[in-house]
Amino acid sequence: MSKPGTLCEITGVWTQYGSTVIHRDLNLDIRAGEVTAMVGGSGSGKTTLLRHIIGLTTPSRGEIRLFGVNLAELDRDAAREARNRFGMLFQHGALFSALTVYENIAFPLRELRQFDEEAIHLLVMHKLALVELEPKHAWLLPAQLSGGMVKRVALARALALEPELLVLDEPTAGLDPDRSDKFVQLIKSIRKQLGLTVIFVTHDLDTLVGMTDRVAVLADQHIIASCSLPELANVDHPFAQNFFKGVSERLERTNKWKIAPTH
Amino acid sequence: MTDAEFSVEDLPDGTKRVILTGAWSLRGVQNNFADLRGHLSALFGNPFTHWDLSGVDQLDSAAAVMLWTGWGRHVDQRMLLRPEHTVLFDMLAALPSAHSFAAGQGNLMASLYMLWDKYLEFFSHLTGFVNLVGSLTLEFFYILTHPRKIPFKEITANFYKGGVQALPVTALVGFMIGIAMAYLMAIQLRKFGADIFIVNIIGLAGIRELGPILMAIIVAGRSGSAMTAQIGVMRVTEEIDALSTMGISRTLRLIMPKVVGLTLVAPLLVFWTSAWAIFGGMLAAKMQLGIGMEFFMDRLPQVVVPVNLTLAVFKGLTFGVLVTLIACHFGLRVKPNTESLSSSTTSSVVAAITTVILVDAVFAIVTRSVGQ
Repeated sequence: MSKPGTLCEITGVWTQYGSTVIHRDLNLDIRAGEVTAMVGGSGSGKTTLLRHIIGLTTPSRGEIRLFGVNLAELDRDAAREARNRFGMLFQHGALFSALTVYENIAFPLRELRQFDEEAIHLLVMHKLALVELEPKHAWLLPAQLSGGMVKRVALARALALEPELLVLDEPTAGLDPDRSDKFVQLIKSIRKQLGLTVIFVTHDLDTLVGMTDRVAVLADQHIIASCSLPELANVDHPFAQNFFKGVSERLERTNKWKIAPTH
Repeated sequence: MTDAEFSVEDLPDGTKRVILTGAWSLRGVQNNFADLRGHLSALFGNPFTHWDLSGVDQLDSAAAVMLWTGWGRHVDQRMLLRPEHTVLFDMLAALPSAHSFAAGQGNLMASLYMLWDKYLEFFSHLTGFVNLVGSLTLEFFYILTHPRKIPFKEITANFYKGGVQALPVTALVGFMIGIAMAYLMAIQLRKFGADIFIVNIIGLAGIRELGPILMAIIVAGRSGSAMTAQIGVMRVTEEIDALSTMGISRTLRLIMPKVVGLTLVAPLLVFWTSAWAIFGGMLAAKMQLGIGMEFFMDRLPQVVVPVNLTLAVFKGLTFGVLVTLIACHFGLRVKPNTESLSSSTTSSVVAAITTVILVDAVFAIVTRSVGQ
C-alpha cells in the first residue's frame, strides 16, 4: 500500500479557507526512524500541515496516510488505535489544567484500561524520570509549573503510550537558550532509548541544527525541498538560501565544538 | 513485527520455563496487557518458574512494568534478560513506591486542616470584597475630580448588554409568573367572595416583590455569570495585567462600568418586569374572575400607593449593585485553570442570588409599614 520505510505519506494536499490557499498540491514523505523538521515563514501553514498529519483537521483535497492508513476513513475504534500510535506535544503544552501532573500523565494510560493502579503509578513515575522531573512534581497543578516544566510534562504525557511517532509543535518556543538546549538533548536521548520517529515544527535554528536528520521547507504553499541540512545549500529558492545561511553558521560552530576536544 | 507471545516448557527438575517472544510493547496494537497478565497470573504465582526474555524483539516500559509487578518487584537469577532489559528493570527498581505518597489522606488532622482552610477562605473573601468596594469608592472620588475620565462608552455598553438584551427574557418570565400567581390567588379569593382584592395582590406583589426579585435572579444568571467569566478569562490571559501596564486602572475601566451600568439599568428592568407581571395578572383576572381590564387599571393606582414604586427603585438599585459587585469579586479570584473558572462562575451566581434573597427579606421586614 505505502512505500516501505515511509511512515507518513502526503500526496496532493490542498488546504483552502474561503479564497485563501494555504497548501497548493503539497507532497511529502516522512521516513520511519528519522527526525524531520518542518520549516517555513510565519503563516506558511506548518502547524496546519501538522494538524492534518495527526488528523485534527482534514485537507480540502488530497490524501494523508499515516502508518499506511487515512485516519479520516477509519471507524472509531480503529482510529483510536491508530491515534494511540503517536504522541503530540502542543505548543503550549495543552495539559489538562484541572488535573495534577500525575493525573495528566496517567490519563492516556487509564483510558487504555489495561493497567491497574500499581502499574499506572510505576509507568507515570517512569515517564517522569524519563523527562527528568522529580517525583514530588507529580502533585503540582499545571498552573504551578514553569514553562520548561510544562513542556516536559507534556512530553511525558505524549510518551505515555510508547508511541512510534512523536509530533512536536514548536517544542522549544518560549524556553531560554539553556533550557531549550536541554530540551533538545532530552528529546534526542529519548529518541535513542525508544527508537522514535519525530516530526516537528520550529522557528528556532539551534533546535533545528541540534536534532534534525531531514528538513522539509514549506514555502509558496508547497514543500520546496525535503533534504538533509547540508543539502539545503543546493536548493534554489530565496527562502531556502536565506535559511541555509543561518543554518550553516550554526553547523560550523557545532562542528568546531565537536572537533575542539579531540585536538 | 509479531505480537507478544509466550510458551511454557517443563524443565527436568519439575519447574517450568516461560519463553517470551515477539514484541512486548504497546506498539503492537493487538497486545492487551490486561489479558496477558491474566494468562500469566498462575505462572507469576509460582516462585520457581524460570523466565526467558532473550527472544523478545521489543520490551517497552508498559510490558516491563507488567512483568516486574508480576514478579513481585524484583529480578533474580530465574530471569534470563538481555542487557537492555536489565537497564529498564534497574530504572523501574529505582522509582519511588506508591506508599511514599499516601500521606495526609482521610485522617482527623487533615479534616481539621480543611475546616481551618475554609475558615481562612471565608475571611479572604471578606477582605477581597471590602478591598473591591474600597477601590471602587476611591475611583468614584477620582472621577469626581477628573470627569473626563468617566468611561461612558463602557457604561453604555453594559447598559445595552445587561439591560436592553435582557428585555425579552425578563418580560417572558414576569408575564408567566403574573399569570401563575393570579390563577392561584383567584381560586382562594373567590372562596371568600373577595375577588376584587386580586388587584391589590397582583399590584403589590408585582411591584414590591416579583419585579425586583425576578430581575435580580435573571440578571445574576445572565450578566453576573458573564461578568465573572469575562474578568476571570481576562485574568488568566493576562489582559488585566496588560491594562495595568498601560497605566489604566482595572477598577475604573473594567469594574466601575459594570457596576454603574447595571445598577442604573436595574430599576428600569424592575419596572419592565413588574409591568409584564401585572399585565399577566390582569389577563388571568379577566379570564378567571371576569374582572375587566379598564376596571383593573382604574383600581390599581388607588390600592397601590406611589411609595411602592420608590421602594421598587431602591430595591432595583441595591440588587443591581450586589449582583455586579459579587460577580466582579468572584471574577477577580479566578485562578488560571478551567476548574477554577467554572467553580467561580457557579459560586458567583449562587452567592448573588442568595444575597439578593437575604437582602430582600430584610427589606420586607424593615419596610413592612410602608405603602400598604
